[in-house]
Amino acid sequence: METHVPEDFGNEVFETLKYIIDPEVGINIVDLGLVYEVSLDGDTLEVNLTLTTPGCPMSGTIVNATEQILLKRFPNLDVKVNLVWSPPWSTEMITAEGMRQLEAKN
Amino acid sequence: MSAATTSNSPGKWVVLPHYAFAALAFVALSILLLFSTDAFGGHYFHPKLLTLTHVAALGWATMLIFGALYQLLPVVLECKLYSEKLATIAFGFLGAGTILLAWCFWHFELGYLIHVAACSLVISFTLFTINVIQTARLAPKWTIEADFIVTSAIWLLLTGIVGLVMVLNFTMAFLPVEHTHYLKLHAHIGMAGWFLLLIIGVGAKLIPMFLLAHAENFKKLNWSYNLINAGLVFFIFDHLFFHTALLPVYAGLVVVGVVLFLLFVYETSKTRQRHDVDLGMKQTFVALGLLLLPLVLVIVVSSNLNLPQQLLSSIYLVYGISVFFGFVSAIIVGQTFKTLPFIVWMHAYENYVGRFKTPLPKDLYNHTLQRCLNITYLLGFLLLLTGVLLRNQQVILAGAIGFTLTSVLYTVSVFQLLLHKVQELKPFTYGNARA
Repeated sequence: METHVPEDFGNEVFETLKYIIDPEVGINIVDLGLVYEVSLDGDTLEVNLTLTTPGCPMSGTIVNATEQILLKRFPNLDVKVNLVWSPPWSTEMITAEGMRQLEAKN
Repeated sequence: MSAATTSNSPGKWVVLPHYAFAALAFVALSILLLFSTDAFGGHYFHPKLLTLTHVAALGWATMLIFGALYQLLPVVLECKLYSEKLATIAFGFLGAGTILLAWCFWHFELGYLIHVAACSLVISFTLFTINVIQTARLAPKWTIEADFIVTSAIWLLLTGIVGLVMVLNFTMAFLPVEHTHYLKLHAHIGMAGWFLLLIIGVGAKLIPMFLLAHAENFKKLNWSYNLINAGLVFFIFDHLFFHTALLPVYAGLVVVGVVLFLLFVYETSKTRQRHDVDLGMKQTFVALGLLLLPLVLVIVVSSNLNLPQQLLSSIYLVYGISVFFGFVSAIIVGQTFKTLPFIVWMHAYENYVGRFKTPLPKDLYNHTLQRCLNITYLLGFLLLLTGVLLRNQQVILAGAIGFTLTSVLYTVSVFQLLLHKVQELKPFTYGNARA
């Protein structure tokens, strides 16, 4: 996960995005490693995120939810969400917390 | 970084009616089975067995596969479905054709009505095949999964055309050889060409996805595709024109192809990050295990083993049952609970994600009910196989009761999902947000 924002603000963004849960796996999109980059350019908050597979039917849902949740949390900022496929997501991108949650489900 | 488009999912009215029809067809199939225990004592060319086979293959399996595929095709091929309208029309023709065909076989009415039924089915398969091919043409990259799916659709159309020719032959008698000769062709193209290739193609994408596993080596899948198709093509030409003793070799090619797919699944699953196998995936693995039975039996029925005629007839029936009531039904039951809850959830809750605490797809159905139906299914299947092999009507009846229980539990679960309404949701407050 890359951030081009002050550390506290970046943490706030990631904590907010943890409310979005991948419905199949049951783990939030941050710990699943789907959020690649967060940056702040003036009043525009930009997020690059991916999905576990390019054909994932959740693409529209996750992009809209990310936009909505960030607009609500940071009402003074413009929010731009980009869905990206490079680099392709792999299970190595799951965070330590995500792995802990996966193991707890076993 | 390349930007992507939003969701490719089709509308729910394209997909969900297929699940409803298939569930009701499963109940109808089980009830018909209850009244057909006397049909398993002789040859497979029997009105009741023809009815059962076609209700299972068309109303239950193909109907559900059509519906699921309209949802999954965009996932596998990474593009939108070519036409939702074609899908809806294909649904109408498949539904009407199946009901008519079942009625005609049950009453052994081989006149114009069965011609209408067969034409209706071929129209449906044609529209479906056009939709699949055109969707595949929109795909950003061509994959081995696309090969499997597109080829399976073509085999389905061919199965339907052979079926139509046989139905016309009932009244016009123009085919040079007896009916059962073509029935073998029709059955094997349908089983190996349509069901097997389609299930492998979709499974190769979905099983790793559901297990959070990464498939890296597709060599086995490529060989699987080549061998199954080669086996099938050699079988068709030999069966129609040459009549050699090489049938076990062609069957062997198909068997090796399937084994390569199973090895692919095994190797991929070793890299999985998810070890919590839910009931839907457990049932899917049971289905893959059940696939071993028809693989052994296809070698037996294609080899000239000089078995007693009565035993050979029973083995033929067990072979058919192991495909339709075994592998195909088991995988459909399992995958229904992987796909349908997700589809229903997506249409019901997509606008609430991130704003309200929503349930997960697995929370939308009753797990106890699903556990029960997995058990009644397996018991029903084993009893049916035993009854047919022993030619014991009481045991066949017990198996039919097991299937009826399974179909009722399945249909209750499916309709609970289809009729799901969004409950009152609790909004998130996002820590110290001014929300």
